[in-house]
Amino acid sequence: MDNIGEHPPEITPPTETWEVELQKVSIVRRILNSRKWYGADWWFVAVSSVLVVIFIIIAIFPSLFAPYDPSALVGPSFLAPGAYPPVPELIVSNTSSANSLKDLAVTSDQPRPTISVVQGGNSAGALNDAAKEIDNQIKNESGGLRLRPVIDRYATVEEALQAVVDGKDTAAVVGSDEFVRLKAQYPTLREGESIAGGAKTAGGFLLGTNDIGQDVWSRLLWGTRVALIIGFSSSLLSLIIGVPLGLMAAFIGGSFDRLMSLLMDSMYAFPGLILAIAITAVLGPSVINVIVAIAVLYIPTYYRMVRGQTLAVKEDVYVEAARSIGARSREILQRYIFPNVIPSVAIIFSVNVADAILTGAGLAFLGLGLPPTIPDWGIDLARGQRFIQNAWWLITFPGLTILLVVLAFTLMGEGLMEIFNPKLRER
Amino acid sequence: MKHNRWFQFFALLVMASMILTACATTATPTAAPTTAATEPPVVTEAPTQAQAPTAVPTEVPPTAVPAKNTIIIGTTDTIASLDPGDAYATRDWELIKNISAGLLRWKPGTVDLEPSLATDMGTISADGLTYTFTLKDGIKFGDGTPLDATMYAAQLNRLLTIGPSCPNDVADALAIPYVESITAPDAKTIVFKLKTTVSYFVQILATAPYTASDPKTFPADQCVLFPTAPIYGVGPWFVSQYTQKESIVLEPNPYYTGDLKPQADQIIIKDYADPQTMALAVQNGEIDVAWRFFSPEQLAPLKEVQGLTVGTVDGGSIRYLVVNHTFAPADDPNVYKALAAVIDRNEIADTVYGGNVTPLYSMVPPGFLGATEIFDTVYASPDIEAAKAFLAASGYTASNPLKIEMWYPPEHYGASTAAWMEVIKKQFEATGAVQVTLQAQEWSTYITNLTGGASYAVGVLGWFFDYPDSSNYLDPFVYNKGMGTNVSPSQEGTSYGVPINDKAKQLVDLLNQADTETDQAKRADIYKQAQEVYADLVVTLPLFMIAEHITYRSNISGSSAYASPETLNIGPNIEFYYSLISKTP
Amino acid sequence: MTPIGFVALIIGVPALILLGYVLITGSTGLRRYILTRIVLTLPMVIILGSLVFLVMRVVPGDPVQSALGPKGTPEMVQRIREQLGLNDPMIVQYGKFLVQMFTLRFGNSLIGGHRPIIDEMSERFPATLELITPASILALVLGIFGGAMAASHRKGAVDYVWRIYAVVIYSLPIFWLGLMLQLLFGVKLSWLPISGRIDPIIGTTLVHRTNIYTIDAIISGNWAALYSVLEHLILPTFTLGLILSGIFVRLTRINVIETLAMDYISAARARGIRERVLVYGHALKNALIPVITLIGLQVAILLAGAVLTETVFSWPGMGSYLVERISARDYTAVQSVIVVFALLVAMISLAVDVIYSLVDPRVRY
Repeated sequence: MDNIGEHPPEITPPTETWEVELQKVSIVRRILNSRKWYGADWWFVAVSSVLVVIFIIIAIFPSLFAPYDPSALVGPSFLAPGAYPPVPELIVSNTSSANSLKDLAVTSDQPRPTISVVQGGNSAGALNDAAKEIDNQIKNESGGLRLRPVIDRYATVEEALQAVVDGKDTAAVVGSDEFVRLKAQYPTLREGESIAGGAKTAGGFLLGTNDIGQDVWSRLLWGTRVALIIGFSSSLLSLIIGVPLGLMAAFIGGSFDRLMSLLMDSMYAFPGLILAIAITAVLGPSVINVIVAIAVLYIPTYYRMVRGQTLAVKEDVYVEAARSIGARSREILQRYIFPNVIPSVAIIFSVNVADAILTGAGLAFLGLGLPPTIPDWGIDLARGQRFIQNAWWLITFPGLTILLVVLAFTLMGEGLMEIFNPKLRER
Repeated sequence: MKHNRWFQFFALLVMASMILTACATTATPTAAPTTAATEPPVVTEAPTQAQAPTAVPTEVPPTAVPAKNTIIIGTTDTIASLDPGDAYATRDWELIKNISAGLLRWKPGTVDLEPSLATDMGTISADGLTYTFTLKDGIKFGDGTPLDATMYAAQLNRLLTIGPSCPNDVADALAIPYVESITAPDAKTIVFKLKTTVSYFVQILATAPYTASDPKTFPADQCVLFPTAPIYGVGPWFVSQYTQKESIVLEPNPYYTGDLKPQADQIIIKDYADPQTMALAVQNGEIDVAWRFFSPEQLAPLKEVQGLTVGTVDGGSIRYLVVNHTFAPADDPNVYKALAAVIDRNEIADTVYGGNVTPLYSMVPPGFLGATEIFDTVYASPDIEAAKAFLAASGYTASNPLKIEMWYPPEHYGASTAAWMEVIKKQFEATGAVQVTLQAQEWSTYITNLTGGASYAVGVLGWFFDYPDSSNYLDPFVYNKGMGTNVSPSQEGTSYGVPINDKAKQLVDLLNQADTETDQAKRADIYKQAQEVYADLVVTLPLFMIAEHITYRSNISGSSAYASPETLNIGPNIEFYYSLISKTP
Repeated sequence: MTPIGFVALIIGVPALILLGYVLITGSTGLRRYILTRIVLTLPMVIILGSLVFLVMRVVPGDPVQSALGPKGTPEMVQRIREQLGLNDPMIVQYGKFLVQMFTLRFGNSLIGGHRPIIDEMSERFPATLELITPASILALVLGIFGGAMAASHRKGAVDYVWRIYAVVIYSLPIFWLGLMLQLLFGVKLSWLPISGRIDPIIGTTLVHRTNIYTIDAIISGNWAALYSVLEHLILPTFTLGLILSGIFVRLTRINVIETLAMDYISAARARGIRERVLVYGHALKNALIPVITLIGLQVAILLAGAVLTETVFSWPGMGSYLVERISARDYTAVQSVIVVFALLVAMISLAVDVIYSLVDPRVRY
């Protein structure tokens, strides 16, 4: 923060009419009227407040906006935004009478059918899901048929198809578009039924799916909750500890003040992220621990600012005057110090939430801090980094979201600062 | 004025003392001066031809290209130690096996043993306790020092003397339990006396701790994890320079007389901190070969690149769930059987790994002695009905669900671990009678708790063989040495602990028998029985086997004189002989 | 870089600056102030170091077991712990730690090759230095220039552009910016390398003297190496530098605005001095004074940003070293790194304060 605390507020007698009139008007009118006077900064604050409110609503009711559960495997892996996966189908040799998977069921004394698939892609998963479903149906029927195929995995479609031709496998499951492309090379094979339905053939996800088939959009929305909880809680915690400490130091003074200031200065000067890393490493991964670690980082900020402002006000002439006519400390606090401190605290709070969200994401990105079972933007980014080559959407969208949220809070703080900082006001 | 002088003097004193302590730190001899590699004289050798020393006709084959033929290999695996008496990790062993050799080795590309420094497979005494080998002639270290049996035996004795005090302590795993003494009755004979009959001792002899080492580099009384370059052995290469975490440079050993002659003038092994970068590097041609470790997400795009070949080595690396038989609720057979019945390995393989791992149905991987698919035979998973029945037998239903915690380390076994644990959770909860709580815990804490045996009902571990034999896939999990299964918790005075019930006792007895049985066919049978008991007890729950992958550019090829040239002659024992790869410019 | 070079850089250089200044000028007050600060630095570093010592011992997880994994039997672990002195009573370990701190002999790493930590830091620290130096320069130049420009066009379009830039840049997660740059320039366009410090083949030809590759390359005239190093530096430098520039834009802008509001500027304006000269000549110079002090504080942000940047780009510096070692519970390494960081921050902020007092004639002690 800049030197917002080091200059006493200017007390000008209210001769300028607009100031006096403004005081008489309600807060809402004041806000709307001040648009004229603060220009673009007003817009900063207005737009960012709206954004903040939107994010808070999403954080409180993520299920209203998220189409899926964030940890549910709802689709095939690595599906691009809005795309649909290929539909796998059963491929059998011309001599086989099977048309669908169910036809491949056998009794327990017969050898299990072997089905070849290609590594990667969704055919193996679709096959597995479909086979399980069919097996569950038929095992209770009479006849003792079971469908428990042995899955053979090959590196390419050609190898998988060749295996059926060579008789190594009973059938193959490959994407229908792939087979269409290669049909001519395998005249002894024909298509059976398609194996659709189930998660592996679902598509049309707004922001695509991640490495195990979770919906990116839902994870982003649910991640808001964790991010905002961490942001708000840690800033609140820092505030609750830092502000009273600052006040006390300024009021009590003496060696308490010196000791506290030394401690706070050392903490302030030390790289925050590193401290947070050390703390979360000690405490272990959990949301509470991350909140505590980040809160510790920002206590000095509040402390310094509050102490500075309080000291400045305390020394001022008019406070001395007030004291000489018998005003008690509490009155001084209430009348003179709080009004000056509160706007600055508000600004710092908003910027702190932004910073806390960033630090939280940074910690999660490094693999420290949050348990991987919670949907969180930082963790999603760390996961996405591994797939930077083939799934650009896994890092783009979580990062953009972090940017938007942090931006909203920072803009709010920035705008508020322009408005409240008297030094910057144009005459 | 006086005041000022004092302050000046004091300031000078403070500054001077700081600078003096700075100087003092340089006087301390560092145990492992690795910065030797940065001294100018060593470095200037690098860009020139591999220097042939004065005399000796070397049998380095003439390279077709007069200019330097360098092959660059990239890896993300780290080196922990270069001392054969200490090193216990795969990469360490790979380096040691390339710069030196032992009495026996595996035929490149296979798991068959053949003699290396020995003249034959050795003589075993009738009681199975004495192994005698004859050393070949003319073996020399890279600086010309000849090797004789006396020196060799003395170096091997380091395993028995200082080995246990070295940090990686391979001696306690591969020497102390088996070997009583190692002697050289004459300059060409080496004799091993064992403490008990061990049916797989020859396999152990082929491992890196039993290679020949230079007493000048690795003195008898000291563990030297990172000697100063150049490091000489009796193998086809020697280390000419290296910088930790950056690169190692190998050059042909001019005195090598064996059959694995180097086909390149120089090998540089470059360290990568992350596989993502290594993937890009092999694509861009920054490196010629990429070896260990690529996860499936990096492999998929690599397989499609023109000019790159991705060879799959069915390796010995497995992943499994650890069940703690003395920790509720995993001590209830119905609970662990239900888990065994519900696991869908195919779903894990396809969803999380894109089909790049192989479902594993027994702790003994396919191809090993006596391997069966016992978990599939017994449990035929996924079988939700059976799982529900097991749970119901212990009173767990939808209204009274089993609450169980599963712990795992989120980074140590790859970042996909979190993903497949989620899949397993989903599978177990599909019974409707279970509530699983997944707990991630950082590796250092996790492994300390797990091996302490106290903490978790179900955990996750990985395993890689020490030597390619079935015993190495069963014994460690039963004779509890801190694996967290507690099937036979250790106790003072017992070798194999105290089995917790009859079945466990039966298993311990079977494994004991197999360890000393010399008839391989009988051993195979014993292992089949052992696997049955193992599956019934669900000592651990095997999940899948991870293949290793070797990625190389089109101008690199393996040797057709040995097995598996398509994977650069790397076979199931995951041994990479750098001599066998060649580069066409 | 040799250990002595490393230590000299951390302590010697700022110390010599101070020493020189103290000897040259004659201000008693300043000397007292500096010495007081130095004397105060010591307890701060000790407290910080002791805290880390305590914290690392309290943390669950055993470095030896962690390194050995499931193959480490309890007997093996205990034996190795004995050897490394980890089973000594806490007081003894603490005593050793204090001695290490004071003599800057940091002991040996607990994992892997058990190398002396000072060796490992001498390799990693120059890498971090090589990263943060151009990054700070970029940030400063961009920041100060932008801030001044914004301030001189107050409330105009230029002002808002710079303000939005500053806010947006500040809100960007630094690791995301790194990833996006990697994606664009490394993967999609393939113009630049995305990790490491130097090409592997060329790397073997470089003579490591200071371990700052740019300097080493220049000293030995190895132009291919220099090219490769600079190539590898571009993306990480931009990542770190851009993020930091946002902060400097904001700071400079505010300070220049405040300075421009001062009476002497109005007076100069009345005298007819051109706006351009006013802003960049008078106001900026004076506005820079508080900015300089804040640069000292930005070292903390710089080091924090370096940790994330090094992770994204696989840059083998102190930041990634710290993260690695915390995960491995390498107590000695973590303690040493934090002590070094604390010392660095303390020294730099002290040096900055001294420079500040040189620059600002109003400062009297």
